[in-house]
Amino acid sequence: MKIGLVEHGGLAALAGPAKVLDTAALSGTEAEELKRLVDAAAAAAPKGVGTGKAYDGTSYTVTVDDGAAPRVLKQSDAAMSPEFAAMLDWIKKRV
Amino acid sequence: MRKRCRCGHCIMPPHILRKLIESKNPELRAAALNTMLSTERLRGERSIRALATLATAPADGRRTIYDCRQSTNLAGSVLSRAEGGQPVADATVNRAYDGFGATRDFYAKVLDRNSTDGKGAPLNGYVHRGVKFNNAFWDGQEMIFGDGDGIVLTDLTKSLDVIAHELTHGVTDNAAGLEYHTQSGALNESISDVFGSLVKQWSLNQTADQADWLIGADVWTPAVQGDALRSLKNPGSAYDDPELGTDPQPDHIGKYVRLPDNEDGDNGGVHINSGIPNKAFYLAATGIGGHAWEAAGRIWYESLLASGATTQFQDFADTTFMKAGQIYGPSSAQQSAVRDAWDGVGIRVGGTASAVAGATMAGGDLAPLVASIDALSKKIAVLAADVEALKPRKT
Repeated sequence: MKIGLVEHGGLAALAGPAKVLDTAALSGTEAEELKRLVDAAAAAAPKGVGTGKAYDGTSYTVTVDDGAAPRVLKQSDAAMSPEFAAMLDWIKKRV
Repeated sequence: MRKRCRCGHCIMPPHILRKLIESKNPELRAAALNTMLSTERLRGERSIRALATLATAPADGRRTIYDCRQSTNLAGSVLSRAEGGQPVADATVNRAYDGFGATRDFYAKVLDRNSTDGKGAPLNGYVHRGVKFNNAFWDGQEMIFGDGDGIVLTDLTKSLDVIAHELTHGVTDNAAGLEYHTQSGALNESISDVFGSLVKQWSLNQTADQADWLIGADVWTPAVQGDALRSLKNPGSAYDDPELGTDPQPDHIGKYVRLPDNEDGDNGGVHINSGIPNKAFYLAATGIGGHAWEAAGRIWYESLLASGATTQFQDFADTTFMKAGQIYGPSSAQQSAVRDAWDGVGIRVGGTASAVAGATMAGGDLAPLVASIDALSKKIAVLAADVEALKPRKT
């Protein structure tokens, strides 16, 4: 499974670059954990953060390519589920 | 107070904790809050965090800084420094605390405004948010700081103007509610850059000529080829980096950048087209001279208060011209500088309608207005006669 992450927007209005995490480079345990985090993030609806406005907030696009049709998960600092946040932190510690 | 509380099991009854939260002793307040916030049943409960925040920030912009410990989710954050507390070992926490204080004091002493909402709203900051988070933002009620990835950006608390920029979004939200897209959004961004820079200038007691007019001069890493995130003095010149590209800001309405009104398009280019009103403010401030926060800052602030959710560049420009006339007098040096400033970015103000509107309406000072109306009436009479002369004769 390959995970692509692009962060864009924010105070500096930055865009990308895309970062890629390949589960082939992970241990079996880590790969399983990543799959669990991705599935949880995909199933969780975003929740408003603060007042849901997020001036200078960042948007996050996570592309999941596991051989089937790629899934795209997109949330932002204005509205994010705890599950998406957990997945995001896990991925960013490894890219 | 010893921390004996573990997840879900708290030896200290909640009613005593709540009493301690109201203590005048900042250390007791902080300890009580930490106890409450660290229990697992409170984790993720926003209502408890809001209650705790209210309890520690009853008025006058009370500051509270939390440590997110590299988590994107704020629910696991830990109280690091409360209002009145001594500096802590974490310099990031102290910079956020001090930056909040400088911004709060600027608004109170220069503009007579009590915190972001004018009523003493608490100032809450969350530092060390997320993993290698290259950003700082205002979520409508609190400011959130990343540490940067160390490749592009460093710790976002390092620039006072960035801190003041974000808190000013709170001011704008309460004052005008400028919608965060297209021109109103670019104005929203510009207001934050303007007052972000003014807070820095005020803290350094700099005149407009001495100021660097840069936003985020201390947050790029040395590897990035750039001076700052943005320049009010020279929009489009802040950075030119092979990886990041070139600063895309325009400095003239003729170079307005049309982008899709969605997240990918920066909501119609709010961070890009803010360069136009930014440059106008720089020109007004340097045209007037002295400390930029005194005349230009006051004119811009009063104009913000007079603006609304959908105010466009032209509307705001007209308002600044009018306000300059109201505060400093019609045809004053300040009003002329404001007119010239907007002219410098290609936006015309100060036409007949604007001149009339700019005349002070104070009692006993209607003579200029009356004279303008009289002159207009004479012009209309002449035009009417010309039109009449052009009509074909009836036969």
